[in-house]
Amino acid sequence: MNYQPSDGLKVVDPEETTMPRIPGQAESPPPATPSASPGPGAGLEEMHATRQVRIEDLHAYYGSVHAVKGVNLAFDPGHVTAIIGPSGCGKSTMVRCVNRMHEEIPGARSEGRILLDDVDLHASNVDVVTVRRVVGMVFQKPNPFPTMSIYDNVASGLKFTGAARDEVKDRVNAALEGAGLWNEVHDRLSSPGMSLSGGQQQRLCIARALAVEPDVLLMDEPCSALDPVATLKIEELIGQLKDRVTIAVVTHNMQQAGRVADTTAFMLSGELVEIGPTEKMFTNPDDSRTEEYVTGKFG
Amino acid sequence: MELQPRHEYREELSKLEERALDGLDLVVASLDRTIEAVQHQDIELAELVVADDDIIDGRYLEVHQSILALFATQAPVATDLRLIAALLHVMKNIERMGDQCVNIAKLIPIAGHEPPADERLIKNLVTMGNATRAEIRQAKAAFAERNVDMARDLVRQDDVVDNLNKECFQLALEIGDDADRREWAMTMLLVARAIERIGDNAVDVGEQVAFVVTGLFREFEDASHPEAPFIEPQPSP
Repeated sequence: MNYQPSDGLKVVDPEETTMPRIPGQAESPPPATPSASPGPGAGLEEMHATRQVRIEDLHAYYGSVHAVKGVNLAFDPGHVTAIIGPSGCGKSTMVRCVNRMHEEIPGARSEGRILLDDVDLHASNVDVVTVRRVVGMVFQKPNPFPTMSIYDNVASGLKFTGAARDEVKDRVNAALEGAGLWNEVHDRLSSPGMSLSGGQQQRLCIARALAVEPDVLLMDEPCSALDPVATLKIEELIGQLKDRVTIAVVTHNMQQAGRVADTTAFMLSGELVEIGPTEKMFTNPDDSRTEEYVTGKFG
Repeated sequence: MELQPRHEYREELSKLEERALDGLDLVVASLDRTIEAVQHQDIELAELVVADDDIIDGRYLEVHQSILALFATQAPVATDLRLIAALLHVMKNIERMGDQCVNIAKLIPIAGHEPPADERLIKNLVTMGNATRAEIRQAKAAFAERNVDMARDLVRQDDVVDNLNKECFQLALEIGDDADRREWAMTMLLVARAIERIGDNAVDVGEQVAFVVTGLFREFEDASHPEAPFIEPQPSP
């Protein structure tokens, strides 16, 4: 495996016990103008979506339940990929396999390969903590750390990296800016994260995910708990972020898929039925099951 | 009883299609009167055609409003979206066909109550009208059955109408030197042209059938590139 430290993905040497590193830390040069920037840092501006997630013959199980059955698909950089399908079709399980959340559930396991470019994220010598830094995740319900301030919520992932105080500050500001939250919270960064509205909390969680500069951002029903205005803000944010980070969005809202995604994948009963350009999926899908689902004939 | 998902929506969609396609029956009725008015150079009947066009225009507005409501409330996609988009085109063609009947009806009084009519030219116009009527009925059937072959056959039928139109031109040339007869013949050429356009509108409806079924829109015949062969619609990869 051609591992380069700047890839940000740490392959753990069995002999090595130190914490894995993330981009912009230690071995990599610091962001271009971190300390010179008085306001939000410029770190996110320098992020570019370059990495592809490729899922190959993925099977996932909950005990004896076969939830994902041999899925093959890719999340391309610079594209937003939406995954749609009825409840229980395996779409959330599939994305949770990408950052290895699935294996945390007792009795759950998966088979197959999930490649970030040419690195298999499920390989035994790949550190799971590093995987989750490189592959960030945002959940259905906003989940800021309840006892932490706005600032500390976003900084939480950075504190474990040994980043210098000034650098943490710049990265937090840049992440809040990147998540479209800076203008709303810059004068109350020490307020509790929970004091924000639901939509702001979700953008706070996106900022937290962005702070560690992931290559991939997985979003599992990110707007299900939000009102229409907050939903549109998140959707706009997704559009702004897609050039910086490879994005996959699981959604029940087909109009949302239509609005945000370049590519849409339809799953049913653990299988990938069809994947294609979003416009085609919603105007002239190839598979009759896709047709029936998107027109509401079942589901 | 198991309720079908989006039951009311499916009923609304089905009713919308019925109301739109029934608009083609309204056109047939208007065309029948128009042809009769031409055949007998009947000014009163022509006036009825003009007055009754409001019925077709009303249907256009009604279907248009229903389509807007469905877009606004139901977010149709896939086949439903293609159907609704096609019905919008079909309805516009219906409205245009109705207007062509009005155009014809307004030409009839120009020649006066006892026009110097030419039997052969009248007969040709009636034949054209009947062939166009058959096109409209076939377009409706093709749409209702989602039958692309039947829709594409409209091109063949429309060629017949086009040829009859050219014959009308020839007959008008041969009408002689009498100024009144020549003026009447010129007016009837405009009638022939309007009937020919109705045939074109029927072919346009047929093209929408192919769009609903295949998801691809292509003109059956491209008037600006008549030498290009028709390309078989292929599902995109």
